[in-house]
Amino acid sequence: MRVMKRILFGSLAAAMLVAGSAQAQVKVGNAMAVTGPIPDLVAPMVAAVDLAAKHINEQGGVLGESYEVVRADSACDPSAAVDAVTKLINVDQVLGILGPVCSGATIAQAESVSIPAGVVTLSVSASSPAITSMESGTDLVFRAAASDAYQGVALADLTLASGIKEIAVSYANDDYNAAIAQVFAKVYEEKGGKVVAMEAHEPNKASYRSEVQTLSKGTNALALFAYYGSSGITIMRNALETGAFDTFIGADGMLAQEVIDQIGAENLGNATFTTSASDDTTDAYKAWQALAEAAGVPAADPFVPNSYDATFMMAMAIEKAGSADRSKIAAALREVANAPGEVILPGEWAKAKKLIGEGKDVNYVGGAGPQDFDANGDVQGSFSKNTVVGGKWSATLIK
Amino acid sequence: MLEFVNFYFIPGLVLGCIYALGAIGVTLTFGILRFANFAHGEVMMVGAFLTWTFMDFMTGAGLALHPLVAAIPAVVIAIGVSVFVDRYFYRPFRKSSPIIVVIASFGMMLVLRSLVQVIWGPNQITFVKGIAKPNGAIREATSDMGMMILVPDKHLLIMVGTIVIMLAFNYILTSTRMGKAMRAVSDNPDLARTSGINVESVIRNIWVIGGFCAVAAGVFLAMDTQFIESTMGFRILLPIFAAAILGGIGRPFGAVAGGLIIGLAEELVAYPWIGDAPLISPGYKSGIAFMIMVVMLIVRPSGLFRGKVF
Amino acid sequence: MDQMLGYFLYAMSLLTMGGIYAILALGLNAQWGFAGLFNAGIAGFAALGAYTYALLTTADSPFHYGGLGLPLVIGEMVAMVVSGMVAAVIGAICIRLRADYLAIATIGIAEIIKLVIKNETDITNGPRGINKIPRTWEHLTEERFYSSWPMSMFNTPEGWVSFFDSLPAWWWQPFFAATVLVIMFIFYFLLERARLSPWGRMMAAIRDNEVSARAAGKDVTGRRIEAFILGAVIMGMGGALLAQHLRLIEPTNTFDPAKMTFLVWVMLIAGGSGNNRGAILGGFLVWVLWSGSELMIKGSIDVIASIFSDWDPAILQTRAGFLRMLLIGLLLQLVLQKYPGGILPEKRPAVSGRNAKRAGNRE
Repeated sequence: MRVMKRILFGSLAAAMLVAGSAQAQVKVGNAMAVTGPIPDLVAPMVAAVDLAAKHINEQGGVLGESYEVVRADSACDPSAAVDAVTKLINVDQVLGILGPVCSGATIAQAESVSIPAGVVTLSVSASSPAITSMESGTDLVFRAAASDAYQGVALADLTLASGIKEIAVSYANDDYNAAIAQVFAKVYEEKGGKVVAMEAHEPNKASYRSEVQTLSKGTNALALFAYYGSSGITIMRNALETGAFDTFIGADGMLAQEVIDQIGAENLGNATFTTSASDDTTDAYKAWQALAEAAGVPAADPFVPNSYDATFMMAMAIEKAGSADRSKIAAALREVANAPGEVILPGEWAKAKKLIGEGKDVNYVGGAGPQDFDANGDVQGSFSKNTVVGGKWSATLIK
Repeated sequence: MLEFVNFYFIPGLVLGCIYALGAIGVTLTFGILRFANFAHGEVMMVGAFLTWTFMDFMTGAGLALHPLVAAIPAVVIAIGVSVFVDRYFYRPFRKSSPIIVVIASFGMMLVLRSLVQVIWGPNQITFVKGIAKPNGAIREATSDMGMMILVPDKHLLIMVGTIVIMLAFNYILTSTRMGKAMRAVSDNPDLARTSGINVESVIRNIWVIGGFCAVAAGVFLAMDTQFIESTMGFRILLPIFAAAILGGIGRPFGAVAGGLIIGLAEELVAYPWIGDAPLISPGYKSGIAFMIMVVMLIVRPSGLFRGKVF
Repeated sequence: MDQMLGYFLYAMSLLTMGGIYAILALGLNAQWGFAGLFNAGIAGFAALGAYTYALLTTADSPFHYGGLGLPLVIGEMVAMVVSGMVAAVIGAICIRLRADYLAIATIGIAEIIKLVIKNETDITNGPRGINKIPRTWEHLTEERFYSSWPMSMFNTPEGWVSFFDSLPAWWWQPFFAATVLVIMFIFYFLLERARLSPWGRMMAAIRDNEVSARAAGKDVTGRRIEAFILGAVIMGMGGALLAQHLRLIEPTNTFDPAKMTFLVWVMLIAGGSGNNRGAILGGFLVWVLWSGSELMIKGSIDVIASIFSDWDPAILQTRAGFLRMLLIGLLLQLVLQKYPGGILPEKRPAVSGRNAKRAGNRE
């Protein structure tokens, strides 16, 4: 028993010593699903967060201090996210949380930890419609990615506009894909399309040949909602191999260079995926693309521009709040992100800092869209459709 | 009927071959060392990663290797890892209760997987690029006979490869000294020991054979899905356990039969047997193996081939 | 000051989660430690408890069945009953299977429970999960509780609002942690009583030598099923408390057997199976290591980076999460080899003198 007490208290003390040794900085917490089911999607998002912090520190930092992003692992898992955010808020004393990746983990950490503690959560990618209605008047949860309620509609419109009247739907049975598939199917049928078959599939299986074959009755178009890494690529490959489908429609989870590299551009002539980002007709996206490409970060991967935008807006909000005070950040976040004000593009930290210092209004416009928060802390988002052109995804703005 | 064969039966068979190879290692360790080896899936995964690394290395040197060639050095290293893990992490518990070894193997699973994630990173790696079209010759020949069989080359390789490994394995088990010693230890370790069989060397051979089959399963899986990533082994581990139980613990051929049955069942339940919809929602796909396994455990715990019941 | 409060609140969270895991480990101890039943479906029973509690106590919601908005205590009671009933059915079918087989059967059953929760979307909201689960003490600040009986007897809703506003925002955290600990001690107390009772001694006899116990006329199967149900009831409560702590539960990751079931097993084996105090110690110890290791690894990478300042630690930082799993895995091997009987090995009741010492080293 004595030995154990020593180990117990020893490890506790060590944990606290190590954590407490950091100097006074402007710290924000970044709970990302570094491990868990989608590490491949998260890795470039992490890189984008770090890139934003780097740009901010190169141009003077926040409140005259260095802007430190403290990372923790939320593993896409409510219990890991709650534990990670508890540590960020209490031990690291961060000013705000740059959100866990998955919607379930985001809601859990918000309801369990960050809302009771009065800390702002700015999610980089949680897209579940449930987040809109969860916080009941506390105004502490924001997100830099549009709700599926918007993207599902945009995708249904796009599908009908491209002349696909009948479609089969297959979605991975997880929080993100199930949600967007429901919205898509409902809107698509309301607007005159016909869903010939709709089935969930269990992610992470080695083969989906029988599923796609059973779904393919009467149409060659498949609306596929999946993460590319856990089942998306396998389903597309199985469908193409067996000739069950040749036309694919889908959302963010499928959008990665990995898909082209693995399946081959020649097989993806009829694949269209939407994502909540702009295209290179906007100045903001051009600015983001230049910065991302200079740093080797994949600019068009899902939620990567959103991650950069969130990190940048959080820094602007802290600068605007004028002090390291958690309670002022929510209001400041809305002010710096929403119109009116002088437009700030990705990377323009020195300009933003100067204008905020002069007390002028600013309005951040990011690579993922205008990033204006509504009363629920949601962004409308703009969506682009992505098709393969010359071996790369090429984005065009829709609507 | 043709649709059934091409899109349900053959894919099921391919999946079954992969499960079968994996289940051989599981059933041997379970039968002789008396524990469910949770790290077995990670050996498959490590084998596939090593294979890819050799392929990548040789491509860099200007030589495109076939995965099955690159798998040869991978097999050697993976067997080395298996024997090393056994020596330092399982052998200390030979005399303890099996649960301790199960937990040790669970820990090794975490260690091996995170090691791969630290070295290679968590991202998917493309194993073979592109889409595998059905083999032209078979398609021509069978369509002349009025039944067009569509099977890509990679599936032919997997099925032929599995049969070759099975035959070799059968020869080792029934006709060599080592195989006879293995069967003796499996039937009764104490009796085998008293009759002068070196049990530790038999155990080493178990890891060699189990490791070989595991790497084969891993490489075949990578050839089929055409990518590798760090949880690929764990994802198929539980169906493999189900296959081993179904066939009867300690019965390698039972494990093969079990693997084929589980693989076929997983693909065939999505067939629209009644009406247009899949028989069972694909959302329940991973439950199929467990259903079969639980029913089997209750009805006939010794498995199809009269395996051991501890 | 804020920093000290932060450490205090983190300690509260460690106590809460450690306590919940200690409860799960106590439940497993009743099954494995007492009766030798290798249950590898802990996550399944915890999920049953958590979902039952959530469906019964949440406010009415369009996303899932109910919520029935019942009092929290009723939710907890029913959670235990449901988990116990499912265990009775499973036990009746599977209990005669020996150790490893029972393990694999329970893994399968837990996986099937998870799949049902995931696919029966109308009842459980499927993979999106159930949120707004009321947490003991904190729930008092919700309008539906303070505006209704019994709280409405003591104060007006406005009065309650101003009362809660006068408290610091974290007031309920120590109370919730204490509640979890009290529940843990109640289970500990009851299990100790059971262990030292004739029933407990009969369990040990059955576990250690089934044949002679059967020959002595004991109802081996019946006793086994009892122990299985007892453990499952405790796990159901653990699940209900976990649901309160997380406030959102979803089937895929919250009840991931590779994490939860495994962690509870490590806790029991490290703490000492057969020993209730060992189960509790293991629960806290392993959880503190699990949670604290993230801070320690983060700190060590900073230290490494400051020593080798010309080297970019970015790759280590992005892979720190995996490094953590690697270290936990190795630590587990170390504990297993150093303390094969656990840190607090089992002490047998009713054995005296020399035998007691020998029996204490049993594993």
